Amino acid sequence: MDISYIFVICLMALFSSDSSIVPVEGKQKSGRGRGSMWWGIAKVGEPNNITPIMYMDPAIHSTLRRKQRRLVRDNPGVLGALVKGANLAISECQHQFRNRRWNCSTKTISRGKNLFGKIVDRGCRETSFIYAITSAAVTHSIARACSEGTIESCTCDYSHQSRSPQANHQAGSVAGVRDWEWGGCSDNIGFGFKFSREFVDTGERGRNLREKMNLHNNEAGRAHVQAEMRQECKCHGMSGSCTVKTCWMRLANFRVVGDNLKARFDGATRVQVNNHRSQNSIPVISPNAVGSNTAGPNALMPQSVVYGEEEERMLNDHMPDSLLLENSHPSKSNSLPQAGQPNRNGHRRGRKHNRYSFQLNPHNPEHKPPGSKDLVYLEPSPSFCEKNLRHGILGTHGRQCNETSLGVDGCGLMCCGRGYRRDEVVVVERCACTFHWCCEVKCKLCRTKKVIYTCL
Amino acid sequence: MSGTILENLSGRKLSILVASLLLCQVFCFLLGGLYAPLPAGHVTVLGSLCREDHTRQNDTSFLLYSRGAGACIPVSREEVERDPMKMANELVHVFQMPLPRDLRDLDYSRWQQNLIGVLQVEFGYDSTSELREPPKELQLTIDMRLAYRNKGDPDQAWKLYAHGVEQRYLDCVTAHVGPTETLYSCDMIPLFELGALHHSFYLLNLRFPLDTPRQMNLQFGHMHDLTLTAIHQNGGFTQIWLMLKTVLFPFVVGIMIWFWRRVHLLQRSPALLEYMLIYLGGALTFLNLPLEYLSLVVEMPYMLLLSDIRQGIFYAMLLSFWLVFAGEHMLIQDAPNKSTIRSRYWKHLSAVVVGCISLFVFDICERGVQLRNPFYSIWTTPLGAKVAMTFIILAGVSAAIYFLFLCYMIWKVFRNIGDKRTSLPSMSQARRLHYEGLIYRFKFLMLATLLCAALTVAGFIMGQMAEGQWQWNDNVEIQLTSAFLTGVYGMWNIYIFALLILYAPSHKQWPTMHHSDETTQSNENIVASAASEEIEFSHLPSDSNPSEISSLTSFTRKVAFD
Repeated sequence: MDISYIFVICLMALFSSDSSIVPVEGKQKSGRGRGSMWWGIAKVGEPNNITPIMYMDPAIHSTLRRKQRRLVRDNPGVLGALVKGANLAISECQHQFRNRRWNCSTKTISRGKNLFGKIVDRGCRETSFIYAITSAAVTHSIARACSEGTIESCTCDYSHQSRSPQANHQAGSVAGVRDWEWGGCSDNIGFGFKFSREFVDTGERGRNLREKMNLHNNEAGRAHVQAEMRQECKCHGMSGSCTVKTCWMRLANFRVVGDNLKARFDGATRVQVNNHRSQNSIPVISPNAVGSNTAGPNALMPQSVVYGEEEERMLNDHMPDSLLLENSHPSKSNSLPQAGQPNRNGHRRGRKHNRYSFQLNPHNPEHKPPGSKDLVYLEPSPSFCEKNLRHGILGTHGRQCNETSLGVDGCGLMCCGRGYRRDEVVVVERCACTFHWCCEVKCKLCRTKKVIYTCL
Repeated sequence: MSGTILENLSGRKLSILVASLLLCQVFCFLLGGLYAPLPAGHVTVLGSLCREDHTRQNDTSFLLYSRGAGACIPVSREEVERDPMKMANELVHVFQMPLPRDLRDLDYSRWQQNLIGVLQVEFGYDSTSELREPPKELQLTIDMRLAYRNKGDPDQAWKLYAHGVEQRYLDCVTAHVGPTETLYSCDMIPLFELGALHHSFYLLNLRFPLDTPRQMNLQFGHMHDLTLTAIHQNGGFTQIWLMLKTVLFPFVVGIMIWFWRRVHLLQRSPALLEYMLIYLGGALTFLNLPLEYLSLVVEMPYMLLLSDIRQGIFYAMLLSFWLVFAGEHMLIQDAPNKSTIRSRYWKHLSAVVVGCISLFVFDICERGVQLRNPFYSIWTTPLGAKVAMTFIILAGVSAAIYFLFLCYMIWKVFRNIGDKRTSLPSMSQARRLHYEGLIYRFKFLMLATLLCAALTVAGFIMGQMAEGQWQWNDNVEIQLTSAFLTGVYGMWNIYIFALLILYAPSHKQWPTMHHSDETTQSNENIVASAASEEIEFSHLPSDSNPSEISSLTSFTRKVAFD
């Protein structure tokens, strides 16, 4: 990472911090679904603080909802992963948008849903990306923390093992240890997904269009993490032959997820709600459309995307995790409500029923309906050229641009035709390092001249 | 070889025996399918980064760990980036196994038998550097320290188990090309293999020493995530497997004793095939011997090697047996003296011997050296991989030669059978029965062997394709991989068990001989006379309705006699 880049970020941070003295409006009740408070966790404490972050911290108390606090309390170690995840989302977002007029700037002093500024009040593309990347980052970060061993409550993937005969009779910890000895404990990347659903989607009830948009984008973020997992196998039979083979899933680098989400951002779908399906109706799910994320079945469906209904499960249950089976939910398809027997879930959990089973239709009926990995938005984005505090837009004044580029990062587009300034700066970098094992590292400092273009 | 039980067994008795053996087979399959978990489990550990003091770098008793009292405070990647020197030569990647789950600290159990570690590396280059192509055969030098701790020990009581500075070659593909950094993701590299999982907790410290004069690890940009996957055998699988062995062991030993006593009751020295059968039984008994119980008490790092050797001996014996069996059923007594391995079969068996020796050498080079250095792997160096490949190809070629030769011999036997059939009706009854017995024995074994081999191959393919379990209905799940392993293991046990019973010499006389001779020696006489008549019979014209008499009809006729 070169220093000039950091310098720019610091500049942006300075810039944004003095512009963020915005009166906090009492919009929280009316603005349901607009921005998630928990994002503020990114600024609660540095993830690498020496003192462990406690869930009693008042800053956290004000940031998290009650259910989120309960989740944090019940899963020791999860808070650090959440902080890391939120910061991962921010840095990835800023990386992906470094060349655009909106550069995913965050405010350093404000907390909660104002972290990304008031842009999240609008249901535009940028908002959809923020939702998707934060949900994806939490999923990724929790799954990582599980394999790092920092979350003690991660569950095992018991879907591939018969239970030990003795374990069925014993309760509690002895049974768990026996299960581990009997059939091992393969990692459950599904824990990250389940946790992300429980934590990130809290408060998004899917009652209005904006909440549906948020839910869809959160799900899309998780779907991208899931889609980028790769299976790895190792043969270890007799003399290393493949008579016995063990396979596991590997998480991709989050940068790859960020790239994919950025590509979806560029092709995001503007949606509107289906009028005749009001908020409390039970959607009709055709059996063959359940959970089909592949292009084939989706293309057959004429109107809209249908979600496979996922029951909300307890975090620590030992159910086989069908989340990971992307293309088919074999056991699920039997238990789904058919058109003939409605309302099986209607009275299951009251208001929480089928949160994820809704349909979004494209604004332009000639467009393809959004798939489960597509991002959706409701209104067109503002131009982001001029500073507009009412809408939380910082404008592109003072942004760096690329003189030679014709794209969005080019000075022509970035500066919205206002013109730009040319500066020469000297950058000091370490270079020509020599290493000795053990234990010496020597580097020289090199000075290089760089030309920086800044929008007026 | 005189008449065997197989020929003299009535159809009803034979079907009862076969049915009960098949029942045992189904039981073995279901035992693995319904009760056993997957054969192996794994723990995927993401390395934590710890920063260490330069002064202790060469002190191998100093170990860093990531959980428990006195654990190192992990540094984050951002901190590393912020450091002016990027903490070069100060970072230690720490992997502590197993991971906590469900709010509990898990520990390894001795039932889990062995531990195999593989590492996956991700690293990135600054995109400004000239290296853009995915690097091939990058040499990575790793300083590895493996330590253990037992349950009940204090958190910091890690003891060094092995230390090594090893080289690994990486094959990488581009995972992401960005404006600032290009990310590479590499094939997994084998890290260590422990033949004995004797302790409760294991800890791995990895360092990637950077050294300019020695050009060590300089081609790497920055290391990103290191993921260690530690594969162990599942305790439940070990238990089921050992149970199967414990049950099968006395049965096979018992039937061997019975067989050998029966052979010795005869007034002659045992025939070659009888020796082969008892050797085969011996090899199986060695395989069945539940030595793994010892590993629950004693640390036995050579278990992996030993189980390879045990399986190798068994397969070598089985392959040799088939060859000798086919050779002994040629239906031509070309030499009057008794055939032995040395006199007749050494040429036939050379393929088996070469194949087995090359596999053995390979195994010694891999798992044998691992006894001394668990981080060693022959595959990690290009030269070693070539040597290993040579041995494996040699073994493969010998296997191919063996099977071609076996097929040739079987074809020859069938041709001889065809020839003999034409002359059967004109033979004296004693001779005819002798040949019919031979043909029947051979066909029975052929059928059984083909069935077993086909089932093994089919099971293997199914186990590979099906990826885990298979849903019978809503509440019955069959664990195919385990079912395949226990099923095949049980099948070869049952196969040899059946051979030992059915090919044991019979005490019953051939039906027509009852009036003339009561002693067992009569069989020998018949064989001898048959041999002397050989030439005479081979000259007979083959006009008398030959091919009508199949072995099946001869079998039914025999049943009628019973």
